[in-house]
Amino acid sequence: MSTIPFGTRRTRRWLPWASIAVPTIGWLIFGLFPSVSTVFFSFTEYSGFPGTPLHFCGMCNYSNAFNSSWSDFSSSVEVTLKYVAGVTVLQIAIGLGLALLLRHRRKGFGLYRALIFMPQVFSVTIVGVLFSLVFDPQNGPAEPIYHGLTGGTSAFLGDQNWALALVVLINVWMFSGYTMLVYIAALRRIPPELYEAASLDGAGRFRTFRHITWPLLANATTVNVFLTAMGCVGEYALIRVLTDGNYGTKTLGMYMFDTAFGVNPSLGYGSMLAVWQFIITLVIGSVLLFFLRRREVTL
Amino acid sequence: MSLRLKEIARTGGLQLVCIVISVGFFALPLIYLALQAFKTNNEFLNNPTGLPHPWTFSNFSDAWSEGDFSNEMVNSLLYAIVPDVVTLILGVFLAFPISRGWFKHSNVLYGFFVFSGFLPAGLIPLFIEAQKIGTYNSRIGYLIMTSLTGAGFFFFVGYIKTIPREMDEAAALDGCGYIRYIFTMIVPQMKPALATFGIFGFVAGWNNLILPLVMLNDQSLWPVTRGLFSFFGQYSSQWPLVAAATIIVALPILVVFAILQRNLVEGVAGGAAAGSGGVAVAQPVENNE
Repeated sequence: MSTIPFGTRRTRRWLPWASIAVPTIGWLIFGLFPSVSTVFFSFTEYSGFPGTPLHFCGMCNYSNAFNSSWSDFSSSVEVTLKYVAGVTVLQIAIGLGLALLLRHRRKGFGLYRALIFMPQVFSVTIVGVLFSLVFDPQNGPAEPIYHGLTGGTSAFLGDQNWALALVVLINVWMFSGYTMLVYIAALRRIPPELYEAASLDGAGRFRTFRHITWPLLANATTVNVFLTAMGCVGEYALIRVLTDGNYGTKTLGMYMFDTAFGVNPSLGYGSMLAVWQFIITLVIGSVLLFFLRRREVTL
Repeated sequence: MSLRLKEIARTGGLQLVCIVISVGFFALPLIYLALQAFKTNNEFLNNPTGLPHPWTFSNFSDAWSEGDFSNEMVNSLLYAIVPDVVTLILGVFLAFPISRGWFKHSNVLYGFFVFSGFLPAGLIPLFIEAQKIGTYNSRIGYLIMTSLTGAGFFFFVGYIKTIPREMDEAAALDGCGYIRYIFTMIVPQMKPALATFGIFGFVAGWNNLILPLVMLNDQSLWPVTRGLFSFFGQYSSQWPLVAAATIIVALPILVVFAILQRNLVEGVAGGAAAGSGGVAVAQPVENNE
């Protein structure tokens, strides 16, 4: 601990505390307190209508999830896992591909990178409306293309078999520019001598990538996988606009939002779902970090 | 000679691939949307994929007046700028004493703030709390709730460490007060960090859909994201009108992006290092103390 050089001898003691007081109190009231009381509310039957009693009911919501609501609950967990896996794998692959393609400082490349990065500065509302139009089954441009390719028709975002995959793709479309930029920053830190040495040793393109580029990107891969997975495990804003959780796209987050703020609100059951979402986030996060970090060490 | 031709062909091919991907895949959906905004509803139904044949501009004025977007733009600006500025200033005041180690357990304090970022999202209790304390369905209430989240703080702690302590001592000896020191010495030194965070904070605040959806009931309080969402629900059969409304809502952020894209892109590249620091929880403090 060091001493603060500012203030008089009397004010020195409380000056640092005064400095952090407002943000800390604000964060306690609007950050930590709501966050922790999610667990508390998950043990109640609170509906959310003003004037209704809180009614503490122990594990009732948890046992409901595993009994009467099991099919809804288990399918939302399954959809969440598919969603996270799909988005993470695709976004890493596409982000890395784009990074390899656009890493150099060439004419026009700045513009291409900016265009690829652009979708994520838009609100989910804009992206949601945009792709609702593109995949509109009557008049959208995806319809004639699909019809021309396969001869069939599809309801796209209104189709049980398509909706989840499309939402995953739209999520990837929105954020792969970020993954690309993180990879480009890492690619530029790889010393060029390594590539010279590899080409002197007669290593081809694939072997150079396999034994030099990919291992040296381990750090960036950790960051990208972790940020992507953690960013989409609680996703529901985009889904809310695109499908409203219908047609097999009800993730745990969407289920929570629906339960808490939908037609027939139950804040107690919703809080329980938020707790589960937290647990799943924690499990996925620690598993990913464990494997990714180990990979970094061994290489 | 043939080698040069080959190389020209290769770079040309590369450029073509890049253009097809970046424009065709990432920009085309938006361009398509923009084109539909210039069609009449009938023309869109007859010809949904081609260029607008007379270019019509009435969709924009219709959407603007029917969607109440002028009022919502003002709300959006308020909801994006006020919390952004307040968060930045409070974040510096929070990060400065912690990064200087002026508390008995600065590391614990830092770790605690980092850890709390991993706790469950408290949207439901926040909703209940807002109704109890009167910040629900209120412009001021919404601004208070979004201004006091402490975002950006971790990033600042590491950044302030790069500003030498000797500066603090010299300034204090010269009789510079604490608040004045922060505003005249620390804040200018942190300009790049503040700019990056300020831009990302503005974009995030402008784009937020969920919090306005939960916290703001009256249409007069809505930001454009919430307004567009309900406009889309109301006029979903009139695509050209919805497309015009979407362009109206997207345009301000597109302008911000066009002006600041260099900073945004560099912010991400620089943030990659900060991101890896965040993954190894609280590592920077342990190393530097």
